[in-house]
Amino acid sequence: MASERVLGYARAINEALAEEMRRDERVWMMGQDIGKMGGVFGLTKGLQEEFGASRVRDTAINETFIVGGAAGAALGGTIPVVELQFADFVLTAADEVFHKLAKWRYMHGQFEMPVVVRLPSGVVGGAGAEHSQSLETLGMHIAGLKVAVPATPADAKGLLKSAIRDPNPVLFFEHKGLYRAKGPVPEDPELVVPFGVANVARQGRGMTVVATGLMVGRALEAADRLSEDGIDLEVVDPRTLVPLDIDTIVASVEKTHRLLIVHEAPRTAGFGAEIAQQVQERAFFALDAPVWRVAGTDTPLPQDPELEQMCIPSVDDIVEAARALAAV
Amino acid sequence: MNSADLIELYRTVVTIRFAELRIREHVEAEGFGGFWHPGIGQEGVQAGAVAAMRSDDYLYYAHRGLGYAIAKGMDMAVLFGDLLGRSTGSTGGKGGGTVHFADQSRGVLGQGGTLGSNFVMGAGTATASQLLGDGRVTVVFFGDGAAGRGTWHEAALQASVWKLPVVWVCENNGWALSARFTDQSPTPNIADRAPAYGMPGVIVDGQDPIAVHDATSEAIGRARSGEGPTLIEAKTLRIRGHYEGDRQPYREDKVADDEIPNDPVHRLGEQVDDDTRRQIDAEAREKVAAAFDEALAAPRADPSVIFEAVWA
Ligand SMILES: Cc1ncc(C[n+]2csc(CCOP(=O)(O)OP(=O)(O)O)c2C)c(N)n1
Ligand SMILES: [Mg+2]
Repeated sequence: MASERVLGYARAINEALAEEMRRDERVWMMGQDIGKMGGVFGLTKGLQEEFGASRVRDTAINETFIVGGAAGAALGGTIPVVELQFADFVLTAADEVFHKLAKWRYMHGQFEMPVVVRLPSGVVGGAGAEHSQSLETLGMHIAGLKVAVPATPADAKGLLKSAIRDPNPVLFFEHKGLYRAKGPVPEDPELVVPFGVANVARQGRGMTVVATGLMVGRALEAADRLSEDGIDLEVVDPRTLVPLDIDTIVASVEKTHRLLIVHEAPRTAGFGAEIAQQVQERAFFALDAPVWRVAGTDTPLPQDPELEQMCIPSVDDIVEAARALAAV
Repeated sequence: MNSADLIELYRTVVTIRFAELRIREHVEAEGFGGFWHPGIGQEGVQAGAVAAMRSDDYLYYAHRGLGYAIAKGMDMAVLFGDLLGRSTGSTGGKGGGTVHFADQSRGVLGQGGTLGSNFVMGAGTATASQLLGDGRVTVVFFGDGAAGRGTWHEAALQASVWKLPVVWVCENNGWALSARFTDQSPTPNIADRAPAYGMPGVIVDGQDPIAVHDATSEAIGRARSGEGPTLIEAKTLRIRGHYEGDRQPYREDKVADDEIPNDPVHRLGEQVDDDTRRQIDAEAREKVAAAFDEALAAPRADPSVIFEAVWA
């Protein structure tokens, strides 16, 4: 019965927020400019109108309060869904993200921490070195946080709903470059996308490409181009990095025998390194070639939009790497 | 304060004192895998402020002793269990040192190991109370040193703007590790900072548990009736080193032999008749000793706790 409509990624997130706030009175939101203005990217438009200024709260410019306050509000029996204007600001609230959210339950041996931190992430065009990063790997390295990296409108909605219903803290990385992307989104408000289940975005036999966020679309485009040359990519989108569905990745590699990992985050110690390692631990003999990465440069991101694009994988980069890896 | 309440407050203050002394004895004899930050001499602030709270009010405590939690009614054997890394501690044996313990049923919500965490956490919990209309007030304890954190500014500002039901209680004991308060503050009082946030700043004698109680009671009343936060600064003194064993080479005016100026135990005790006081003292000493023995006898945690409570 779940009919499908085409919806934008931003609209899908907005819908998830509204549905969850309607479903559960304990759900509320705070962030900068999210109320009257509806968010700098417009994600929370109309929500203050529907739910009031008490449940959709505009804060001062105080990231430590937005995240630390959310942690405290979770202990007080509510479910805060907070927005940082840019994902980069997890570093402004690092103690609150990586210590309070991630460890309070562990340190005190009790409590649940149902907090979602929404994080507009990634390169969007000229936002600069402190407003454009892909910091999702940080959430994998420090235990206690779940990490979602939706690539499609349907996943954005379904994963956000799962995140809000999860008793654990979730870093929810929304890609700014995808806010306008459109795709089919089921209407059923009970449809959620579970964490820890990868999406095989394209079936193929020649090579596995693991990609997340904006890179999923680029990998699919690369796959279309390469299919003309008879290189058949299978594109796997983990959708969440914590928990990570390594089983689906390994199963794919056992079928294709080659693995290329694509991420926008800098190359060194990015999540690609972890995936490559886990795959070689579990499926070394299935590999016909080394695992390769196409990744962001190990540099800060320049502000200039053209230079910035050169710092993250393009479709051409993926095509070229996949072609070379296929020939190894 | 009526005489029954006064007697109960005395019981709390003296119980914390015996707990302080028992823990010190243990630390000196054998130590444990963590630091002990003694709160001896500061019992009046901790007991006085907590006595003004309702049992369902929320507490974020500071690291200087266990007085806050004892006053909030947490089981002492459990608290000592946390201190000694016993499986019977509230953290299931992950403790060791004074840092973490909690009791959801009594609103004891814990403490961040990074100073200043409590400010934003406390304001957040108070936001939850405001949203839910549950009538609870959150009390946040912190030291004069922790008051320097930026989280103070972020939390205090938002709490005042939203008129959150939170009370800030600063134990100004004159020291932040080796830093003398007067060397790190441009004004003589923490309370001087309150007007910037549009809230009352109240200075109270921290060695006078009744005065601390009364100031906190008023602040809690304001908070509960929607008038917003209050900053209370209780003037007290750090009697020992930052941690037990700290020889304080940085401090010329060390306190000799626990000579506690205006000792809150004596000060309050003077208002209790001798027989009652002697009886309370004996009971408190006995209760502390029994609870400590109970904790000592409890098993250490199984290593499997390392992997517990990472996820809900
Ligand atoms: C963010 C942070 N910085 C430094 C420390 C180390 N530290 C622990 S207690 C302390 C002194 C605190 O002084 P104060 O807040 O006045 O409390 P007191 O020890 O006097 O009770 C310091 C520097 C810490 N735990 N967290
Ligand atoms: Mg101090």
